[in-house]
Amino acid sequence: MSAVRAVIANDLRLAWRDRAGWTTAGAFAVIAVLLYSFAFDLAVGDPRPLLPGVLWTTFLFAGVFASAPSAQRDVEGGTFDALLLAPVDPVVIYLGKATANLIALLVVEFAVLAVATILFGIMLLTAPIAGIVIVGTAGFVSLTTLLATLGASMRARGMLLPVLALPLLVPLLLAAVRATSAALGLEAGTAPWTLLLGVFALWSTLIAAILFPLAVER
Amino acid sequence: MSALVRLAGRIFAARWVLLPPLTGAGVLALIVGALVVAPREVIEGDVQRLLYLHFPAILAAYLAFAIVFVASIGVLLTRDLRWDALARAAAGVGVLFTGVTLGTGMFWGKPIWGVYWTWDARLTSTLVLFLIYIAYLLARAVADELDEQAARFAAVFAIIGALDIPLIMMSVRWWRTLHPQPIVMRGLERPALPLEMLVVLVVGFAGITLLALWLMALRGEAERLAQRTAVLRAALDRAELHNAGGV
Repeated sequence: MSAVRAVIANDLRLAWRDRAGWTTAGAFAVIAVLLYSFAFDLAVGDPRPLLPGVLWTTFLFAGVFASAPSAQRDVEGGTFDALLLAPVDPVVIYLGKATANLIALLVVEFAVLAVATILFGIMLLTAPIAGIVIVGTAGFVSLTTLLATLGASMRARGMLLPVLALPLLVPLLLAAVRATSAALGLEAGTAPWTLLLGVFALWSTLIAAILFPLAVER
Repeated sequence: MSALVRLAGRIFAARWVLLPPLTGAGVLALIVGALVVAPREVIEGDVQRLLYLHFPAILAAYLAFAIVFVASIGVLLTRDLRWDALARAAAGVGVLFTGVTLGTGMFWGKPIWGVYWTWDARLTSTLVLFLIYIAYLLARAVADELDEQAARFAAVFAIIGALDIPLIMMSVRWWRTLHPQPIVMRGLERPALPLEMLVVLVVGFAGITLLALWLMALRGEAERLAQRTAVLRAALDRAELHNAGGV
């Protein structure tokens, strides 16, 4: 447990020192929401039917783009190899990295939710939406962290990661958008979608925790 | 058990002798069966004959993706690049047959549903599947044949992709449904398809599966040869470097 905490602290410290990466992700997310609101004219009429889709595609893009540079920095700086030499289970390293990415991305996402609340005059910082965002982000960060970490030494990784990760995340996107719509009072039954969101988060974390040690063992 | 393994080994060794004629006969039987033997469907007309390609093709694609899954586990557990060659070969064939399924489905959908494409559950999940395995091929193609790390990375992606399929199907089914429910295997006592159609379909299934296996064998052999060429080329480079150093 202390090893997980050490990896989380290390990654967050690195993320803080090299703020440019995550600041760029945050700026990208805010700009994306602005662009969507121009493109779909969200300022006119009721933006609620489109808002969940806008928010979740933004979150996915920001998450996928932000996870690649941090993993790349780790591999190029030799941190990743050093971590693998440490006498801890590789699962611990993976969980630490995924949690650090999750925390950094949640900061970005809640900033976007705050901006969107102000821009569209719809209260998005509610407990149900916060819960959906946390579970949904956990679900996709586990996969993007795995793919970004393992693919960090490959050519064309910047282009490749979105192409690889996004089709895998279709179920998560559908579930998150529907659950958020329901939280905004647009549709009735939330139960199956929040259930699917939870199942996806569990599934992706479990599968990544199994595959990561198999893939990095020398 | 060992006799079975030996038999499988002997069939595998004879694949270049067995597969081409069997595939040729199977595909020929499929063409004749679909165009001549099978009766004209009363409501849908001749376009329904696409069934004999459409349905076997998706089963062949699933077979190929199952092979990708198993071979990818093989890559992770053994680090043997022969598994990687098999996985790449099977993924290519799977993408091809998924494309055939989507294509025939569009030409069938236009006259019957009035549109080439609709966001029905089964169509959508097949399209997502198509994208996942194209992404797999891309991920493997950016690195060279002997890059073991890239092989492992692609294997991880293929395993996640395969295990994602149930989630994709479930989510998309909740999202939308229009495709006819499966009628081919509704029960053996009262099959929904007339006997002639069912026979042609089984022949089609055999022909397309053989074709898929043959393509996979060819593709896998090509990948193996590419790997061996890369090994030889690397050895040649080393030898040249050595000679240059000696002189």
